[in-house]
Parts: sequence; C-alpha cells; structure tokens
Amino acid sequence: MIRFNLNGRWIESSEIDPNCTILKYLRTNLKQVDVKEGCAAGDCGACTLMLGEMTEHGIEYRTINSCIALMAQVHNRYLLTPSGIGRPGNLHPAQQAMIDTHGSQCGFCTPGFIMSMANLYQNACINETQALTDAEIHAALSGNLCRCTGYRPIIDAAKQMAELPRVDVRDISARSGVQAFDPAAADTAEALQEKDGHRLFMPYTEAQLQALLKAYPDARLWAGGTDIGLEVTQRFSQFDTIICVNRIPELAQCLAAGQDMGDQLWLGAGVTFSQAETALADSFPSFAQLLHRIGSRQIRNMGTLGGNIANASPIGDTPPVFLALAATLEIDGIQGRREVPLKDFYLGYKQTVMQPGEYLRAIRISPLGAGESLTTYKISKRYDDDISAVMFALYLNVQDGLITEARLACGGMAATPLLAAKTNAALTGKPFTLETFTAAAACIEQDYQPLSDVRASDRYRLQVTRNLLTKAFIELSQKGEAA
Amino acid sequence: MSFTSSKVTPWEQRRQRPAKGKSGKELAHESAEKHVLGTAVYIDDMPEVDGTLHAVVGKSTIPCGEITRLDLSGVWASPGVVDVITVKDIPGDIDISPAFTGDLILADGRVEFIGQALFAVVAETFDQAKRAVNAAVVEYKEEEAILDVKEALKRDSFVNPTHTMTEGDVEAALQSAPLSVSGEMYVRGQEQFYLETQISYALPGEDGSVKVFSSTQHPSEVQKLVAEVLDVPVNYVQVEVRRMGGGFGGKETQAAQWSALAAVFATRLNRPVKMRLDRQDDMVLTGKRHDFLNRFKIGFNEEGVILGADIELASFCGYSADLSDAITDRAMFHVDNAYNLHDCRVIGHRCRTNTVSNTAFRGFGGPQGMILAECMLDDIARAVGKDPLDVRKLNYYQEGEHTHYGQPIEDYYLPELIATLEKNCDYRQRRADIAEFNKTSQWKKRGLALTPVRFGISFTTTFLNQAGALIHIYTDGSIHLNHGGTEMGQGLYTKVAQVVANEFAVDIDMVRVSATTTDKVPNTSATAASSGSDLNGKAAQNACITLKKRLVDFAVDYFKVSADDVRFENNHIVVTGSDGKEDWVSFAEFVNLAYVNRVSLSTTGFYKTPDIHYDPKAERGKPFLYYAFGATCAEVEIDTLTGEYKILRADILHDVGQSLNPAIDIGQVEGAFVQGTGWLTSEELLWDDRGRLASASAATYKIPTSVDIPQVFNVELFNRPAAADTIYHSKAVGEPPLMHGIAVFCALRDAVASVADYKVSPQLDTPATPERILNAVMACQGTAE
Repeated sequence: MIRFNLNGRWIESSEIDPNCTILKYLRTNLKQVDVKEGCAAGDCGACTLMLGEMTEHGIEYRTINSCIALMAQVHNRYLLTPSGIGRPGNLHPAQQAMIDTHGSQCGFCTPGFIMSMANLYQNACINETQALTDAEIHAALSGNLCRCTGYRPIIDAAKQMAELPRVDVRDISARSGVQAFDPAAADTAEALQEKDGHRLFMPYTEAQLQALLKAYPDARLWAGGTDIGLEVTQRFSQFDTIICVNRIPELAQCLAAGQDMGDQLWLGAGVTFSQAETALADSFPSFAQLLHRIGSRQIRNMGTLGGNIANASPIGDTPPVFLALAATLEIDGIQGRREVPLKDFYLGYKQTVMQPGEYLRAIRISPLGAGESLTTYKISKRYDDDISAVMFALYLNVQDGLITEARLACGGMAATPLLAAKTNAALTGKPFTLETFTAAAACIEQDYQPLSDVRASDRYRLQVTRNLLTKAFIELSQKGEAA
Repeated sequence: MSFTSSKVTPWEQRRQRPAKGKSGKELAHESAEKHVLGTAVYIDDMPEVDGTLHAVVGKSTIPCGEITRLDLSGVWASPGVVDVITVKDIPGDIDISPAFTGDLILADGRVEFIGQALFAVVAETFDQAKRAVNAAVVEYKEEEAILDVKEALKRDSFVNPTHTMTEGDVEAALQSAPLSVSGEMYVRGQEQFYLETQISYALPGEDGSVKVFSSTQHPSEVQKLVAEVLDVPVNYVQVEVRRMGGGFGGKETQAAQWSALAAVFATRLNRPVKMRLDRQDDMVLTGKRHDFLNRFKIGFNEEGVILGADIELASFCGYSADLSDAITDRAMFHVDNAYNLHDCRVIGHRCRTNTVSNTAFRGFGGPQGMILAECMLDDIARAVGKDPLDVRKLNYYQEGEHTHYGQPIEDYYLPELIATLEKNCDYRQRRADIAEFNKTSQWKKRGLALTPVRFGISFTTTFLNQAGALIHIYTDGSIHLNHGGTEMGQGLYTKVAQVVANEFAVDIDMVRVSATTTDKVPNTSATAASSGSDLNGKAAQNACITLKKRLVDFAVDYFKVSADDVRFENNHIVVTGSDGKEDWVSFAEFVNLAYVNRVSLSTTGFYKTPDIHYDPKAERGKPFLYYAFGATCAEVEIDTLTGEYKILRADILHDVGQSLNPAIDIGQVEGAFVQGTGWLTSEELLWDDRGRLASASAATYKIPTSVDIPQVFNVELFNRPAAADTIYHSKAVGEPPLMHGIAVFCALRDAVASVADYKVSPQLDTPATPERILNAVMACQGTAE
C-alpha cells in the first residue's frame, strides 16, 4: 500500500502498479492535471513537482521529475503541485512574480517552472533576506525548458519573488496533519506494492536489502531511476520485481576522511548528485563544478553516484572522474562483501563484474594532497542538462615540477568509461611542461577509438580530448597549483 | 439588473477613470493566472468522457519501399486493444494534403520515410496501445531511398517545380564585377519542440458527425480534412481549440492527421477517442523546419557595393509537398534581407527526399534565406577588408527601389533603426575593444556582429489574407468575443480582446474570449505568417464598428440627438444634449436599454488585407502589405581549444509599429531571438545514413536553457506607428524577431575569423555546435586534418 500526502491531503492506495510513475498516477487516476507531460524522459521539466520529506528540521522539499519517478518514491512523503500551493487571488510568490513579469506565454511549461521556483523560494527565501544570485536561479531552472519566452522574464520572476510577502508551503502540506512514520515498524519482506504480477519492495536497512536479494536475486534495483525510469516511460517495459534502494540511510552517507574510513572519503552509493555537490565542494571543487552540470536540479535530486557507476553507461559523467581518482568500490550482496578497484569494474558496453544478488555499496576516494590536482571538463552541445560528447577527467601529482602520477580517464570515448593508459604513461615521470602535454596528446588516438554519433564525430572527440590536455596544462599553470 | 457579478467593479467607479486594459497598454496574458496555477486546460487535461479510448500508430522502419506483408493479428490480440485500422478502413479521402497531394493519412501500399504511419490502433489505455503496435509483423520490398538534398538535386527529385526570380542581367553583372565571392552553406532545420505534443480528442455525435478538439493552428483546415476523410459534408464536423501549448508552425498542417485518425475511430466505434503523440512519436512523425542547401556567387566593387548575385536555394522537403512550395518561395523572397542585390537570379528547388514531410516553422523559409544574405555580406566585408557593418550600410535598399520580385521599397526606415542601435549599443567602441582583446588573448576569442531583419508580412498566397470575428454583447454589458485566430501562447486572445475593449472604451474584464471553433467563425485561415493580430484584430474591430453604429443609431433615435453627440468613454455612453449637458449612461445600462428596444447586439466582422497581389507565374508583385524591421548586435566569446562559446551580450531593437501590448511584444521578441539562436547553435537535427532521425528525443536534441541566453540582454521596441493601415498601426511580431538570432551566428563567425586576422571568411554551416566552431577555427589556423 502506498500512502502519501498530496497538497495537504493524505491518500492511500493498494491498487497502484509498481511500474506506475507519479505523473501517470496523478494525471490518470487522480485527475490532477496541473502537472504536465512534456517529454516523459526527465529532460524538459514540465512535470516538476515538490517532494517533501519529514526530517528533524520539519518537512524538507526538493524538486523531482515526476514523469520518471515511481509512485513508491512518494510513499510516506509530501507532494505539492502548482494548484496546491496557490489559489486564484491568493497566489504563491513564485506564481505572482511570474504573472508580474509576463513569464508565461503558452503556459505549458509554466507549472513546472513554478515548482522549481517555489522550491527555490522555500529553501532559499523564507528565512533569508539576501537576494538570490543568478547562479542559484540558473541551478534551480536549468532542468525546465521553455520554448516561448527566452527565459528572461522567468529569471526576473525568480528574482522578484523573494520580495513578495512570505509563504511557507509546509503549512499546506501539514493541513490535515503530519503523520509519524517509523521505518523500523515496516515489514519490508512483504511487497510494498503488488499488482498484476508486479511487485515492489522497499528495504530500509542494508540487512533488509540483503535478505530481499537472497529471495529475489534477479530483482531490478531502483535507486534514482533517472536512467531505468526511461525503460518504463519510453520503451513501455514493465518490471516484475523492483527493489528500491533509495531509502537506506546507510547508503546515503558521505563520510569524510578520518570519519570511520581511515584516510579515504566514503561515498554511499545512494548519495544523490545534489548531496555530492555539497559534500565534495571543498575537497574536490573541480568535481563539484562538474556535478552542477549533470542533468538538472531535478535529476540531481534523484540520481545517485552508485547508479551512475553501476549502470555502466559509457557516457556517465562521474565514472571518468572516479577512475581518475583511482576509486575503490565496495560491493555487497548474497556472496558477501568485496572490494573492486573501479578500473577493473567495467567488462564491456553496459557490463560490469557485478553478479545477480549483488549491489553497489560505496565508492571510496583519497583526498588530494600537496601537488595533487583534479581537472574535469565536460564537452556537450548545450552547457546545462546535456549528455557529454566527451567527459574528461585528469588527476595529476606534480612534485618539484615533475609529474609523478597521471591518470586521465574519459567518457564518451570508448564502450566504457576508460583510463587513457598510453597517454598516462607518456605524462608520468615527465616535467610539467606544455611539451610534455603536447607529446602525451599524440597518444590519445592509441588509447581511444571513439564512435561518431548524434553528439559528436569521432574526429572531434579525439581532437577535443587532445586539446583539453593543452587546456588543462594552461589552467593548472595559471592556478599555479602544479607549477 | 438585480444581480451584478462580484467580478465586475461598480459602474460608478468605472466612470471616474479611463477604461482598463485598452490596446497599447501592458497587460498580462489572459490566461496568466491559470498558467501559473496549472489550471489552464490543454486538450489532455480535459475531463475524459467515460469510455474514452487511446490511439497510437504503428510506424515504418524503412525509408522507402513496398509493404509486402502487414500482419496485425498480434496487434489485435494485445491486451486492451479495441480496434485496428489500415488505410483500407478509411471511409473517405486518404489524402490529407493542405495544398497539393501526397500527404497520406496512413501508408497505402508503400512507405516513403522511416516513421511513416502504417496502421493505427485504439486501446483502453495509452500504454496498452503503445505496447500493441510493437506486435505488428511488417515486411517490405525495400527500394533505394533519397536521403539528402544533394542526392535529390542529382536525381531531379522534387515535390514541386523549381521557381526562379530574375532581376536585370545577372550574367553581365557578375562578369563585369571587379570582385566576387562564391560559396555554399548548409543550413540545418529545426524541431518545433512545442512543449505540448500533438493531440486530438474526438467525440462522436449524431448522424456520423463528430466534434474534434485539436491542438491546431488551423481549425478550419482540420475540419475540412476530417470531413473528407470521414466522407461527410464539412458541416458534420466541428473543430475547437482553446489553447495550444506552443505551435510555432508545427501545428499548422500537421495536426490534421491525428485529428482525422481520432475521428475515424470515434465514428467507427461510437466512442470518444484521444490521440496524443508522446514526445518520441511526435519527433519522428511530424515535420520540422526545412534544411536548405544554399549556393551563391555575388559580385561587388572594391568598396563592397553589391553589383549582382546568382543564388540557388534547395530545400529539404521530405516525401511530400505539404507547405514546402510557399516555404521555399519565402526563402527566395528573403535572400536580399535589407540589401539591394541589383542584377540577380534566385532559384529555389523543392527537393523530395525519403524523410518526414517538413513543414512550417516560425519564419517559414525566411530565416534560411536571410542567413545567406548576412553571411554573404560578411564575406564581402572580409574580401574588401572593411568592418561588416560598413559594408552593410553601403548596400541598404533606398526608397523608390524595388526588390528582386518587384515589390517597391516604401517606408524603409530600417537604416535609421540600425543607426539607433549602433549608437545605443556602443558598437564602434566595442569593436575596438574586441580587436584589442583578441590581440592579447591566445585561446579565447571574441566576435561581434550587428545584423538587420526585414521580414515581409502577409500570407504570400494572397487569398489566405482574410479573417472573421463574432461578437455578442449581453444585456449586462459583458462581451463575448470569438475570432478565427488560435491562441498558442503568443497572446493573440489578449491583444484582440484589448482591441474590443478599446473600441467600446470598456474595461478589459468586460470582454471574455472564447475557444476558437469552426461553428462560430467559419472558413478561417491558419494562425500563421505572423498574421494573427493583423487579421483578427481588424476583423474584431470591424465587428465592433458595426455594433457601435447600431448603438449610436439607437441613441440618436432614443435621445433625439445627432450621432456626433454620442461617444463611448470610461465604460459609459456619453450623450451630449442640445443644451450641452452630458448624460453618462453606463455601458451595461445602455446596452440593456438597446436590448429592450430590440437592437441586435450580435454581429460578425470580416477583414481582408488590401493592396496586395502576386503573380506566381511572373514571380512578380507586391506579396507583402509591409515589412517588419529590427536589428541585433551580438557579442560572443569562443574557446579555440574546444569550440565552446558563450553569448556575452545581445542588444535588440525591434519594430512592432505602435505596439498593441508592449509586454507581450517584448516577450515575442525575446522568445523568438532565443529560439533563433537555438536553431543556429545547439539545436542539431540529424538523420543517420538510413534516414532515421538520430536526434529524436529531448536527450539528443537540445533547445536552449536559461543559462544559454545572453549574459547581458537588452531588448527595446522601436515605437513608430506603421504607415500601413494595420490595426492601430501596429506591426506583426510573431516571426520576424526569430531572425535576430542570425546576429549570434555572425558574431561566432566573426570570432572564428579573428583567428586568421579577418582575412579569411570561415566556412561554417549551421548549427554552430562546438564541433563546427572548432573545425572552423582549425581551418582558419591551417591546422585542419
């Protein structure tokens, strides 16, 4: 049975297919049509909703793409839609500002923008007096496509909404009371949803997950769902058995070096991109900057580091970075726990060493010391909310002007994310000079034989990767980090 | 009048001030509050009638060939399936072409592109229908396909005959010209990417009639085509659209197929049928902006003055004519943009290919012609070593000249507009600053361009320039407005309502707009060619004039005054008596008085654009009532190592005549600029070598996001009343500003040219993706592979 709060009203149902998305359930079953379908793939943001979760600080909200999220995601949580946060004549500040700036034309994308803006308002405006920065606004809106306005009035609306009288949407969610929920009381061996031969399980601890994997080793693991969600909404596939792995607190932890895990940073596989943006901001600024450009705010609120690694896409953005950082993976499951260096994890296109009944538990990386640097570049047709043509990640250790260790890894260049073995060898042991980088760039073609596809040609991929080595040298030199 | 709605402010208060929301004032979109609440109803949001079924089509997987086997037994057997049809089940005409022939509702024995609809299925749910189509077994005898423009040209494969416009003696002009450049430019198409995908909802009626809710820019055409497909008279079909979630031309002709299929099922089964294309189907099944292969040779003197031009355009039409003939013509009309090409020849080929039939998209061929003009001017500037803006100035049309299709140049204040922008945006200083920046910056280079827009307004098919409106005034003074124009976000309903409020001098809240529907205003033209407010605004005004005359005549009779003594002001009718005393009667009271005295309070209005003509055989005439003008200065920065770039600044000055609603007009200008910029930068329509659309999803086709707009973005209206007798001397605004995006492209090319010290004019096709920019940079550096 799924139980959730929609605009302040609690709803329960035992009749929801586990494969049913939030968008579909709202529009088709509840006739809640203020949320729109633009692409059904998490790319346009027309379906954006605010998803609230009870925490020690009260209900905290984040935006999600409801088109690719399963109804299980809202279980015991709070959903807000555009017509829930405002009424005619009594609009939410985001809504009022949008009218005042003439920010809607055809209006189809508008509800999604309103949700992104209202979420930003809730998190950044209700207790703050400082104006929102352009960067905050763009980060909130980059996953919402508008084809009519050219965005200027919408950005203005986001700036103006903070000046309007305060509204706290928690009051709306709590209208008919908040309901306590004790995960420990849940019988997770039972399916949370079961319909037409499809089942969904929701473990709250690793032990429960392991028990379920023993019983259902072939179950589909669902973390953020930003990739496999498309199998449901684009290919119209249906999974028989789904295990949600995104409610397990142990897997959503970021432990800094020195916190339990010795000298390494421990990132749970269930850590979302949004959480990682914060967790890595200080220790790996280049990585955090890259994370700002993965998908959109909605996608980063859903997608996980573990999912990005385990789905073994050749164009995932974080695997090259983790390869450059020589990450170690912790894998657990019915065979027991094991550790695998990421460089040994991928076997081929969409293939990994993981066996049925196993799950990815955590990623471990070492912090950067003196002389060590990480440089990342993402090349895509569009700056935000796009998939890489080339993902470039370079780790360097430069001591006294000499490169002692170099690890370049790229995405989009081979059937898997891949280290550039020959290039790395050509860099290692050489002086940190432009000549070294230029010479090493000549090895790129030996390391990679990329394909031509809709994102870029093979020639461009090779050329830009060579040039990015030059760019990395220039920027590192300018920063003086490795000189 | 015992009850007055609380929505209506008291008349006494209204008397004290001018009427609100009149034409010419900023006013929010009539649906703005509903937009932000998500309560504006799009067709998929309408409450579904019990028993509604959902239709999906099965698609071809080869680009060209004969269907040798179409086994649908698996489809019939799929869960939830209620009915399956092929072309044989169509009761009437299977051809749904808007102007010519060849657009088929379902494939008839052969397929002409990958994705062509082969059959259609209805099921209890949308998902069931989507799964069911996969169970079809289809076999083909494949034939060689023509997949691109060059191949079509080689094989003389055209959907319509080639047109040629000729002015003077081009051969002689090019021979005697001291200098010339020639070249070739491939301009890619563009996906409309309206946020609301195509959708129709058909409800069966009595006697085989049907009511179709269709997300279409052209309800009358949908009505006619549905009737033909059903083999019923046109009066058996009603088509209605309250609003679209974007159209951009993509719903001008291409909504008909889905409406007709839904109507066929609805009448066969006597059940309501919804046909919604999901994004992946919409991208594959519907046409886009045409790619163009443009070739040119242009002759000029040492100063950079154009002496003659030989231009050949070839459009990528897809498998059928659709609107390609008029689109290619419009490209031909706009290859001059702001400049006199003097002796010239403009050839336009309409290439037939085994791809989806391309269709209207904001600009309708104009952008693909205009970008060639601007790139040629840049080429000339680099050839003679001058600032491109100076070369442009040498070549502006002068009053009294005429275009290569014979239209006289009148009211040509574009040079003045450009000069204003040049000064306001500090062009000269910034040009100098950029030259300095580029000297010292090794990897990052900046570019600048100031390009004009001159866009012809009117349907070039003259008879389409007509419109109708219907106005009722009810006894409480509230006004019901209906017209043939459709609302797709452009604010047409708002603007026309403002016209009506203006005419009666009543507050805008007295005017309620209603869904466009074929049984209120018949035989309408598409809401297209930027003509919406020009045509429907005038038609509504004419209806108002008729009603006002009736009301004034009544007042003259009733109050025993002359017509000059009656006026509409501040929500009242003011009657000046012979003693000079004014009698103020509220609009509501007066209208009711007219009603009880048996005055008709309902009328239609009609408008046809005067003074336009075009002879398609001679390729001469005056196809446009007037031109809309504008200019943009754009500044960009490129990374010469990766080809990535940013738009640092854009300054736009645009001419909408005397604006009907400045807020809406600014919105149109900004939105069009960003859409035009997307067309020329990140939006890359790609087909693979089999003819399959490779960029067929939002994941692979990238329209701009909020961070892609210029970091500094200044947009202003050039407020000068239009000389033509348009509605309140405004000008059309839908399409023209799209071509402001060309400034960004020219600025990118300028930045690339800086790598070779502006001595080379870089070869750059569109869109200017990072890959194309890097290739162009390397070509300029002489380092290309």
